[in-house]
Amino acid sequence: MLKPRQMSHLFITGSKNQMEPVIQELYCQNVFHIEEFVEQTMEGYEGVKIGTPLPGASEASSKLIRIRSIENTFGVKLEDVEPQKRVPVQQLRETIDTKLSAIVSEVEQIQAKKSKCEAAVKDLEQKINELKPFAAVPIPLEMYSGYQNIAVFTGRISKNPDLTVPNETYFSHAKEGNFIAVFAPAEHSEKVQLGLLQANFVAVPVPRGEGLPQDLLNLYTEQIAVHKKEVALIQEHLEAMKKEQIEFLAASEELLSADVEKAEAPLRFATTKEAFLAEGWVPIDRVDAVRDALVNATGGKITVTVLPTDLDHDAVPVEYNNPSFVKPMQVLIDVFNRPRYSEIDPTLTVSIVFPIFFGLIVGDVGYGLILLAMAFGLRKFFKGEEGQQLLAVLRNASISTIIFGLLYSEFLGFPIPGLKPTMPSRHLMAESAAEGGAAAGHGPMIPELMVMSIWIGILHITLGRIFGMINHARQDHGEHRIKAVLANFGWLAVMWGILIAIWSIAALPLMPDLTGLPAVVSVVNLAGVVGAVLIVIGVVFIARDSVLEVVEIPTIISHVLSYARIVAVGLSSVAIAMVVNFIAIGMFIEPQLKNFSTFSIFIIIAGLIIFLSGHALNTALAILGGGLHSIRLHYVEFFTKFYKGGGKKYMPFGMKRRFTEN
Amino acid sequence: MAAEMATAVDVGMSVEAIKASQMGMKALGAGVAVGLTGVGTGVAEMGIGSAAVGAVAENKDMFGLALLFTVIPETIVIFGLVVGLLILFL
Repeated sequence: MLKPRQMSHLFITGSKNQMEPVIQELYCQNVFHIEEFVEQTMEGYEGVKIGTPLPGASEASSKLIRIRSIENTFGVKLEDVEPQKRVPVQQLRETIDTKLSAIVSEVEQIQAKKSKCEAAVKDLEQKINELKPFAAVPIPLEMYSGYQNIAVFTGRISKNPDLTVPNETYFSHAKEGNFIAVFAPAEHSEKVQLGLLQANFVAVPVPRGEGLPQDLLNLYTEQIAVHKKEVALIQEHLEAMKKEQIEFLAASEELLSADVEKAEAPLRFATTKEAFLAEGWVPIDRVDAVRDALVNATGGKITVTVLPTDLDHDAVPVEYNNPSFVKPMQVLIDVFNRPRYSEIDPTLTVSIVFPIFFGLIVGDVGYGLILLAMAFGLRKFFKGEEGQQLLAVLRNASISTIIFGLLYSEFLGFPIPGLKPTMPSRHLMAESAAEGGAAAGHGPMIPELMVMSIWIGILHITLGRIFGMINHARQDHGEHRIKAVLANFGWLAVMWGILIAIWSIAALPLMPDLTGLPAVVSVVNLAGVVGAVLIVIGVVFIARDSVLEVVEIPTIISHVLSYARIVAVGLSSVAIAMVVNFIAIGMFIEPQLKNFSTFSIFIIIAGLIIFLSGHALNTALAILGGGLHSIRLHYVEFFTKFYKGGGKKYMPFGMKRRFTEN
Repeated sequence: MAAEMATAVDVGMSVEAIKASQMGMKALGAGVAVGLTGVGTGVAEMGIGSAAVGAVAENKDMFGLALLFTVIPETIVIFGLVVGLLILFL
C-alpha cells in the first residue's frame, strides 16, 4: 500500500556450463526481472560480452513460426483460446514433431486447394467481364474470325455510325456503353475505320472460345458457383480441423515460446570466456527462496549476491503492491504512468476517491443500478485482464453512485418518494408539497453544493501536497530536499491562507464563520491577519525553491474551483434526466392517460421510447462525464502536486502457464 | 419616492413584468456564460486534440498524457457553467 513492492538487486555468477540449469530454475520461479546487459567499452568491462543463445534456439523458433502461421490460417490468437485441460509437457514433447508436421502438410494441401479454387473463380470472373459486351450480339464467337475478305470490328462506341460502304452491323444500346460489331469487305476497311472513329470507337478484342456468348456466360457462372461451393467446403473442413487441433496448437505454442525465451536468455546476460553474470531484481520476500532454489539446481556451483539498491541510479522495476480491492484501479494509473520505485504509489487513494467523485457526479439510484448491471453483464464480452479491471472499476463506481443516489434522493431524475435528501438537493424544479415531492420547498441548493465541492477540492489538494512533501523528502538530497519540502508546504500555506482570509471577510454556508472575530488592524480581524501571514510565508517558501513558480500561484484558485465540476457535471446530468422525464411523461403519457382513446396507445408508446432512449443517452453521458471528469481531477489537479511516474514495469522472467503442466 | 413611481409608470411596466424581465436577463446571461466558454473550450481543445491524436497514433503509451492535455481547457467551460448556475440560482 502506498509503496510499490520492495525489490532486491540480485547478481548471479557462475561458470558457463551452469547457465542452462540457472535459466531453467529462474524460468520456473517466474520472479526474476532480468536487467539487460549492454556491452560497454568502459574500463573493467574488457572481455565481457553478451552471451550466445543456448543450442536448439533456432530450431524451436522455426517451429514456433510454423505454428503461428497455422494459427494465422485458422484465424485464432492464443489469448482468445479458452484452456480446457492442461497437457503434460513430457507427452507434448514426444508428439510435437510428428503431429506438427502432419498438421502443417495437411493445412498446406488444403490451403493450396483453396487458393487454386479462388484463382479459378477470379479467372472465370475475368472471362465473364470480357464476354459481357458480346452477349448482346447473337453470333457465336468463332464467327468473328477466320475470314479472308471480310474485316471485323468490335468495340464500344458512342452512337450508331453512318457507314457509307456495304456492311453488316450489330448495334446494342446499353447503360455502361453502346457496343457495336461491324462486318465489312476487307477492301473498305479503312473507310469503315474512319467512320467508326468519328463515332468515338474504342476497339474491344474478341475473347477466345466457341459458341454463343450467352451460353458461355451461363456456363462460366455455373462453374463459379461450383468453385465457390468447393471453397465453402474447404472452409468448413478448416473450421473442423481448427476445433480439433486448437488445443494442441495452443499448448505447443506455449511450450515452444517458453523454450525460445529460455534459449535466448543468455542474450540478456553478460558472459566472459568461461563465466556468466546475470543481473536482475527479485521481490525482497522471494530472495531466499530463489537463492536456495538456484543453489540446489546447480549443486552449489554458483554464487548469488544481493547488491545494495542505489535509488538514484538504479532503474528498479516497479510492481504494484496493493490489496485486492485496489487492484482494478492499477489500470487507470498505468494509463497515466506507472509510479517510480521511490515515490508514493497513489493507487490506494485513487481507488477510494475515484468512486466517491463518480458517485457525487452521477448520484442516482436508477443509473447506479443500470451501471451495476452493465458492469456484471459485460464481463463475458471483455476477455482481457484490462477489460475486467475496468469493469471492476465501473462496478465500484456504480455502487458508490447508488449510495449517493440515496443521499441525494434521486431515481432516474425523480425524487425518491418519502426519502428526504441527506445531501444538499440537486432537484432543479422546486416542487410543491401538494405533488408529494420529497424535496418540496426549494430548488437546487447551489451555494451548499458549490461549497461542498470546494471543500472536496481543498482536502484533495492538501492530501496531494502532503504526498508531495513525502516524495521530496524521500527522493531529494541536501539543501534542495529541505527547499522542495518547504515549497510544498508553502503551496499549502498560500491555499489555506487565502481560505482563512476569505472566512474573515464573508460568512459562507458549510464553512466556519470568522467574520465575528475582533478587528486587529483597521477592518482586518485576527483571522485575516493569520491568512495574510500564511500567504506571505507560503510565497517566500515557494520563491526560495524556484522564483518562477510564484507566477503559478493563481493556479491554486483555478485548481480548487476546478472541483466545482463535480457539482456542475452532476447538475447537468440531473437536468437531462428531468427534461427526458418531463417530455416523456408530462407531455406524452400523462395527458393521454387522462383522456384515453385508441390513438393514445401510439402516443404512449412514443413517450416510452423517448423515456428509454433519453435515459440510455444520459447513462452513456454519465459514464463519460462521471468517469472522465473524476479521473481528470486525479490526473490534473491531484497528480500534478506530487506524482511523476515513469517507473519501469516489473516483468519477471518466466510465464504463467495456461495450457501445459510439468 | 414620487419620482421613482413616476419613472415606473412612464416605462409602462408592472412590478411582475420587471421581475420577469430580470429573470429573462439572468437566463440570457447564464446562456451567454455557458455558450461562450463552451466555444472557448472548443477552440482550445481543437489544437490540443488534433496534436494529441497524432501523438497517440505514433505511440500508444502517450494516451494518458494526451488525454490529460486535451481535457485541460475543459476547466473554462466548467467555470462558465458555475457562473451560469450562480446567476440563475443565487
